Amino acid sequence: MEKVIVIAGFGGQGVLLAGEVLANAFMLDNKNVTWYPSYGAEMRGGTVNCSVTVSDDEIGNVESPTSDFIIVLNQASFDKFEPLVKEGGTIIVNTSLANKVQNRHDINYVFAPITRLAEEKLGSNKMSNILSLGILSVSSGLVSTSTLEKALNNVIPPHRRNLIPKNVEALKLGYEYDLLKV
Amino acid sequence: MTQCLTGKKVLMKGNYAIANAAVLAGCECYFGYPITPQSEIGEFMSGKMQELGRAYVSAESELAAINMTIGACSTGAKAMTSSSSCAVSLMQEGLSYATSDQLPVVLVSVMRGGPGLGNIYPSQGDYFQATKGGGNGDYHLIVLAPSTVQECADLTYKAFYLAHKYKNPTVLLADGMLGQMMEPVEFKKYPYPEIDNSKWALDGAKGRTNRVIRSYAPLASNQCVYLEELYKKYKLIEENEVEWEEIGTEDADVVLVSFGSSARNAKIAAKLLREKGVKAGILRPITLYPFPAKRLSELALKVKKFITVEVNMGQMVNDVRLAVNGKVPVELIHKPVGIPPAPVEIVKQVEELI
Repeated sequence: MEKVIVIAGFGGQGVLLAGEVLANAFMLDNKNVTWYPSYGAEMRGGTVNCSVTVSDDEIGNVESPTSDFIIVLNQASFDKFEPLVKEGGTIIVNTSLANKVQNRHDINYVFAPITRLAEEKLGSNKMSNILSLGILSVSSGLVSTSTLEKALNNVIPPHRRNLIPKNVEALKLGYEYDLLKV
Repeated sequence: MTQCLTGKKVLMKGNYAIANAAVLAGCECYFGYPITPQSEIGEFMSGKMQELGRAYVSAESELAAINMTIGACSTGAKAMTSSSSCAVSLMQEGLSYATSDQLPVVLVSVMRGGPGLGNIYPSQGDYFQATKGGGNGDYHLIVLAPSTVQECADLTYKAFYLAHKYKNPTVLLADGMLGQMMEPVEFKKYPYPEIDNSKWALDGAKGRTNRVIRSYAPLASNQCVYLEELYKKYKLIEENEVEWEEIGTEDADVVLVSFGSSARNAKIAAKLLREKGVKAGILRPITLYPFPAKRLSELALKVKKFITVEVNMGQMVNDVRLAVNGKVPVELIHKPVGIPPAPVEIVKQVEELI
């Protein structure tokens, strides 16, 4: 079964890195996986996204027009990607930087103040991207936080190893976030 | 990114996989000038080659890069350069000379939109550039077309092997999508035998008479002999090195022909068509030169229609038509530039064409 996950935000929020961690996790689960970035004449602060496709079979399309799960970390990404969620799919919305609006009835909405949580509980908004993967883990059931933790070790370079415990904490915080509260 | 490992699955961009495989293949010299979407190759090489005490030169232009590669290859070294579309155009003279000089140049060409400066999005618009050449004279480049990141690595090995085996410039023809996407890849040890170049390499004339490598035969008769010899080599290559992948062609009515990144989608489309009851198969050329023309011509005896799937205005379709030689119709499904047409889009167009 092929699933497509898109992570979107603005440059600097770490969406490409989060996608790389996610794709590594799927690889560690022995799935076929592709990661494809939006690239072009982009600039810092502009919108950026990546598309991760996971499947038990060979993967053709690396950038599907619609997705099963979408994480949007800012308003511009919400506006662009809300219409592109597949019917029955899920959009995870960072309500710290996007409005809590539901324009569709055929998809699931997960609202969480991702940036605020990262700032308040982890002391840095830079943890937003990995925290959002924790929320994806619990709401999609596609990947476990323990595999994501192993994937972090694959992606974070040796001279940044000191950041791993904090990122693991971010994963956990996202995973344990009470989705019913919102 | 400074890994050079074998025997472990890693998630990597196609560009890094190509560079890492080149290092593992024993590439001793890299010359290049940055251009999107292949700059990661030079970036990786700039660190790794120095770390290993091999040569890395950030050339002042693509002209310089290809000629530096020619220079290194003339000493028998394993050398490569990499570039993209409009900058590969600048290398055409060098490629023609390297063919004439019979040098094992390896060129990685990561295609982007054209003509001219074009744009930086993926494209297969340099099929003609790679297989027909923009340089002068009668020559062929050996052209390999990967379709996955794993193949980016495996065919880089093969490019070095074939270039040295036949003393002929060899192109690894990838595109922006393969260069930029990540996929799991496992690096094996370089699987090919090392080629002895002691008979021709310019390695200093100690204890032997001098050698000359040149691209000039002043007498007409000499040039005739030279070209006949060169084309004997091409005949050998065509007999021995054609490689392709074929799925579901045994009983197919319609065969999709597609290479590189678009073959990924064509493969899925063929599967979807089968589910809908259309007897579809796929033939994916892995070597674009030598082209699997003989196999296509065999298939043309039982297939009702061929359809190529390409990201250009229709280039390989011409080679398929030549191979099929009017036996059955050959159609084209294409997108001018960008990521390949989605499988469902291919299915829709195939249904309209059959």
